[in-house]
Amino acid sequence: MSIPLDSSSAKKMHAYHCANQCTWCDGCGDYGIWTAVKRSLVESGIAPHQVLLCYDVGCHGNTSDKLLGYRFHGLHGRVIPFAAGAKLANPKIPVLAFGGDGASFSEGVGHLVHGIRSNYPMTFVLYNNGNYGLTTGQASSLTQQGQPMNSSPNGIPEHTLNAMDFVFSLEPTFVARAWSGDIAMMTRVLKAAIAHRGFAFVDILQACPTYNYFATHEMLLERCYDANTEGHKPVDAAKARHLAMDTSKRIACGILYQCEDIPSFYERLEPRRGRRTTVAEEVEIVDTGKWERMFQ
Amino acid sequence: MFRVSLKVTGAQGQGVNSVGEMCAKGLKRAGYCLFGYREYMSLIKGGHSSFQLDVSDEQIESSETQVDILVCFNHHGLERNALEVKKGGVIIHQTPQWKFPYDVQKSLDDRGVTIVNLPSEEILQKIKAKPMLGNVLITSVVWSILGRSADDLKDLVREQFGHKGEKVLEMNFQCIHEGFDFVQGMKNEELRMKNAVQLPEPDVRWKDHLLITGSQAMGLGLLHAGCRMYCGYPMTPSSPLLSFIAEMQNETGMVIKQAEDEITAAQMMSGAMLMGTRAATGTSGGGFDLMTETLSLNAIIENPSVFVLAQRPGPATGLPTWTGQGDLLLAIGSAHGEFARCVVSVSDAQDCFDVMPDAFNIAEKYQTPVVVMTDKQIAEALYTQSSYDQKKAKLDRGLLVTDPKALKKLKSADRYDPAAKDGISPRWLPGAEAATYCAQGDEHSGDGSVDETAKNAVEQMEKRMKKMQAMEREMPEPTIFTMDSSSGKAVSCQLSAVSDIDLLVVSWGSNKGPILDVLKAESRKLKAIYLHYTYLWPMKTERLKRLMSKAKRTVLVECNHGGQLGQVIQLVGGPAIEDKILKYDGRPFFVDELCSKLIAHSS
Repeated sequence: MSIPLDSSSAKKMHAYHCANQCTWCDGCGDYGIWTAVKRSLVESGIAPHQVLLCYDVGCHGNTSDKLLGYRFHGLHGRVIPFAAGAKLANPKIPVLAFGGDGASFSEGVGHLVHGIRSNYPMTFVLYNNGNYGLTTGQASSLTQQGQPMNSSPNGIPEHTLNAMDFVFSLEPTFVARAWSGDIAMMTRVLKAAIAHRGFAFVDILQACPTYNYFATHEMLLERCYDANTEGHKPVDAAKARHLAMDTSKRIACGILYQCEDIPSFYERLEPRRGRRTTVAEEVEIVDTGKWERMFQ
Repeated sequence: MFRVSLKVTGAQGQGVNSVGEMCAKGLKRAGYCLFGYREYMSLIKGGHSSFQLDVSDEQIESSETQVDILVCFNHHGLERNALEVKKGGVIIHQTPQWKFPYDVQKSLDDRGVTIVNLPSEEILQKIKAKPMLGNVLITSVVWSILGRSADDLKDLVREQFGHKGEKVLEMNFQCIHEGFDFVQGMKNEELRMKNAVQLPEPDVRWKDHLLITGSQAMGLGLLHAGCRMYCGYPMTPSSPLLSFIAEMQNETGMVIKQAEDEITAAQMMSGAMLMGTRAATGTSGGGFDLMTETLSLNAIIENPSVFVLAQRPGPATGLPTWTGQGDLLLAIGSAHGEFARCVVSVSDAQDCFDVMPDAFNIAEKYQTPVVVMTDKQIAEALYTQSSYDQKKAKLDRGLLVTDPKALKKLKSADRYDPAAKDGISPRWLPGAEAATYCAQGDEHSGDGSVDETAKNAVEQMEKRMKKMQAMEREMPEPTIFTMDSSSGKAVSCQLSAVSDIDLLVVSWGSNKGPILDVLKAESRKLKAIYLHYTYLWPMKTERLKRLMSKAKRTVLVECNHGGQLGQVIQLVGGPAIEDKILKYDGRPFFVDELCSKLIAHSS
């Protein structure tokens, strides 16, 4: 079986257009990310039938039927392993996984750890709105300590997880940050992420006008800046980590760190070395007679 | 039926398995059918473990509670297992100055059991051999007692240790000579033991058979089925399957992933299946609990998926290295929501191979989860298995569309078309040049768009549940085994061939081995047949009902407390089986134990 890959149809964003109407709140960051994802795919020359877009559960998951492409909308917290399994089965298909901060830093935090550690050749986009939007505004582990939220009227007692410090501690090979109001920036980092050799972690700070009163569109607009145009080169992990963590005054965006020298998980699979087919193309009844000798 | 049994006991890490395995290999090649049974504790060194080998010239797939030869690496075997030795049997031990308590010694004397103290340490020191070679020394003593030749054993040793060089080999051979000399030079009163254990006449047909564990057989079955990816998380008794196919990966080219947890393993398998390969995951009860949300996900996205559930007794960690059948209701009832699934169970090394292609075919044909059940007994028992038929299995990928022209004609809404016959709609893969769809975990319309309308909810639920009806129609009924009293063999037969019977035995999974062994051995005395369930869900009861009407008595045999197969039969309106033989001590049924129970239940 062969899966034809013809890029001739990838011309315009309209290819990803879907008749279903968007249902996000007015001013939601999801609109911008939705647009940037389509744009980055088109500009990367990827047609809808050539990609797999995997969505976690949350407001962002409602993107799953608002664009075309082969898509998957799974369980809360579990999008990374599903996407990784898909990618390993057919590494010829670009695989993007999307998850919120609740899914990625609470429910499925283990998957994020091992996704980065495994360096699967895939992109992970964090929809970071600092709360659980779809369940009506509970605190996530990225919500500011002390912030009153649904189910924590006195403010959350736990301290806030420093997402970037955590991610950099896992020795990632690609880390970028953007925010939902800057479509050009998001498109640029997403394209770089899609082209990256291993696991690309893209943190997109987004406005949640309904439940997030602390990191608003206005606040992000004011603080976010393109670190790359200001001269940051994404080559030094320690510098990048420092830059990413310090958001007290300004928030550095762009490609913060990238290392292409480290082979992806798939490239490290000894049994796959030198094979041109993917395991998705190798399904057939196999004569196992040759292995019976070891049991004689 | 003539059978001889040998049990090797010792601490884990002392070489219990290597003695057992070497004897097994040698005896199989000499023309015997073997069945190997392991007992061990959940620790790495120490504890008390055993490897029992039952030997016959006829087909056997069970163990006895009593053995002919007991080998004790340390005194624990003498303390715990001495009374398991049959009349006229032999105990070989290496504990100097060992004395049994008075009553034990008397019982052994009454039964004419010969006790042999092998001074291993002394012998090994004399020939300046490392303590590790004690295994070969013990094996050679057993080998000599069984009346086998030293040369046969040398061949085996050469095969196993030949790569370590001539010097090591020479030392091994010296141990073999010492072992044989020891048996030859035994004192007069011990001489009778030389005749104590006699093997039946060998049968050449066993020589070409494989000696294989259920896990290895299942690994070959997965490979045979075209499974190209396996994701697992270590948990007894599913780990040997993971280990086996992981060891094979450089030859097979399979993608093997030891995941960070069972949820990951199940999700990765699911993603890989969505992408179009054949992938499986395996675990035991606790890990399966974690996988069940993913089972439910695969049901709604109509994704073929294969879960191997290797049972051990629970609840919780329970008896981690022992066997049981307490997870049938789990396999059938786990995961939220209502959906179509298939549950099958393997029973031995033949099934472990045969069922795997079938499991994938069912998963792909009905685009739904399949649970393949096994248990610790099957996973780790050693079977004497004929070479596998490589021609029988056919690849059935159901409504998978790969033809470019057919792909072009597809509409997004075809993917989950509620009007599809039997609820089975076409499936196509990411990368295929066709209209795209969403594998949607929310309730959805044909193209995978979220649709929460009442009308759509009904349509899609009914679409998915229609697959259950189709499966029910197409799944095989349970298999009838009858005993051919002239040949003493168990053969499968049609319902119409069954006339009046005294006893109908109903069971599933690893119980098949001991049940058939009992019925074969007692075929002249016991007019019985065995109904074996491989396909457990959808549950079929028609054949059972018909058979029960022909049988004077029906008995259910299971390794659990609730008689779960009986419960499932009743759940779908099948007949109640009042008479039950249930066991839940973590051990499998032993042939002699089951024999007396079945005879008691037959009258």
